[in-house]
Amino acid sequence: MFETARFEGERRLTGSVVVAVGLSAFAAMMVLIAPAILDEFDVAELTESFPPALVEAMRLDVIATIEGFMALELYWFGWLLVLGIYVAYNAASAIAGDIDDGTMDTLLAAPVSRWQVLFEKYLSLLVPILVVNVVVLVVVYGGTQLVDEPIAAADLVAVHALSIPYLLFWGAFGMLASVLAPRRVVAEGVAAGALVATFLVETVADGTDLDWLGLVSPTRYYDPVAILTASDYNYTGAALLFAGTAVLLLASGAWFARRDVQ
Amino acid sequence: MPAIQTHGLTKYYGDVCGVEDLSFSVEEGEVFGFLGPNGAGKTTAIRTLMGFQSPTEGTATVLDADITDTAALRRVRANVGYLPSEPGFNESVTGRRLLDYHGSLRGDVRSDELLELFDPPLDRRVGEYSRGNKQMLAIVMAFMHDPDLLIMDEPTSGLDPLKQEEFLEFIRAEQDRGKTFFFSSHILSEVRKVCDRIGIIREGRLVELEDVASLIDRSGKTVRANIGGSVTAAEFEIEGAHDVTVSGGPGSTESAGDAPEVDGDEESTSVSFTYTGTYEPLLTHLLEYELLDLAIEEAPLEDVFMRFYGDHDAEAVVERVENGREETEAGDNGGEETGDDETRDTETADV
Repeated sequence: MFETARFEGERRLTGSVVVAVGLSAFAAMMVLIAPAILDEFDVAELTESFPPALVEAMRLDVIATIEGFMALELYWFGWLLVLGIYVAYNAASAIAGDIDDGTMDTLLAAPVSRWQVLFEKYLSLLVPILVVNVVVLVVVYGGTQLVDEPIAAADLVAVHALSIPYLLFWGAFGMLASVLAPRRVVAEGVAAGALVATFLVETVADGTDLDWLGLVSPTRYYDPVAILTASDYNYTGAALLFAGTAVLLLASGAWFARRDVQ
Repeated sequence: MPAIQTHGLTKYYGDVCGVEDLSFSVEEGEVFGFLGPNGAGKTTAIRTLMGFQSPTEGTATVLDADITDTAALRRVRANVGYLPSEPGFNESVTGRRLLDYHGSLRGDVRSDELLELFDPPLDRRVGEYSRGNKQMLAIVMAFMHDPDLLIMDEPTSGLDPLKQEEFLEFIRAEQDRGKTFFFSSHILSEVRKVCDRIGIIREGRLVELEDVASLIDRSGKTVRANIGGSVTAAEFEIEGAHDVTVSGGPGSTESAGDAPEVDGDEESTSVSFTYTGTYEPLLTHLLEYELLDLAIEEAPLEDVFMRFYGDHDAEAVVERVENGREETEAGDNGGEETGDDETRDTETADV
């Protein structure tokens, strides 16, 4: 048990470290330039010079604080989009990629069940999720202390911790794409494309007549801006994401157990 | 209890037939060759037996587990070794790490011993492996848990001729230890060397199921004689002779080089035919002529094989078989040819 999770987890380590270093470098840069930029922001002028809908969509009203600045510059794009896509994309190639290159045959020739293979491959996604979150958390915490623009530690921990259900959801979605798609590239495209699409829907529809559309977007249930600027932790959203994750994983397992591996 | 038993096993991919109505059994301790050209359905049958895909119709059992019972099949896979035709591996890790991983999944009782025979460079990344090294790694993985049943898809592909020989020798030794083998091949010489029985598959259907010895008996001998003077084909239409061909004239016989010193002016004729009778009448008949050279060989299984393919246009068949061979040779470094010559039972008489 867990041999596959361990093996896949080890393989993901290098990529996870690379992503962690990249996002850390980006985070460090944002932290370092934050004090100078925050001084220059004139929120009133900003909000006036853009249409209200855009101000609302881009959350420009909170950008003048270190919390708002980091939430928007790092977590909104870095977590909701970049890390989300990374996880979804990796999950999508987990099964479909192995089937494409024949690795799945070698694996399924062993006395392992497909449920187990799928579940353990999914578990290995915890490696990038945890590595990137822990490393960047430390960098942002240390960095904001260093430039003397501290962010409440509890909020910082929460913004990372509550990203985990969001990322796990996209991992599960990627797994479903991976077992449904005929080929690896299709699975990867579907997973990454769905993430971008739902992100855009939530961003654009938020506060408009089409607000209800955002209900189906996972983006709605993890809001780094609210967490950092208002200490508003959406536990219900996290629970919904976990529930969605479970449903997607069960569907993936059921389909993978039945389908032909060609 | 047969190690493998199928009843009307059928697999369609949509409208495309993979295999249809396959019924056969592989007995315990037997080496069963599953023979057919590329695309005949060998891999489909094997992948269905392994449970990678479910049959459209029919049933099969592997070590008594129904292949549609995933839990039962998973349990017996602990006692089945599988060698895919194109082994796929995670290429970013070393061979050693992969062996550790797969050993932890299926158990590892003899990889050290196997690595003495099949020795891929374990400390290099699998992505850097040659085709042959990948095949050897796959062989070690298939045998490392010492399974009782081995299911192999074109097992010698990618191996150099020497390793192919070693592998076939290894199969024989494993059979002596009581192991059962079911393997597909389109290389007749290797099938002939190790198999007890063969099934020939064509366009998804089993067209022949027989033990190798009687298949060879039935296929007869190829007789090639170089005879002084001029003869006609009709003279050799003796009982048991088929497809008599006569060629040559002065200096044009193909076997002249092998013949003892022949006077340059002397006319000679090459006669060749397939012979299914006993030796005595054949030799008696031959001795009526001035025999310069004589070769009697076991008819190549290719001939038998082609017969089952039932093509009437012999040239097209030859062309297809030759193309098939070229492909194999490109992939196999021509290994099976070496093996073929070596084992063909040859009795040559120079007069």
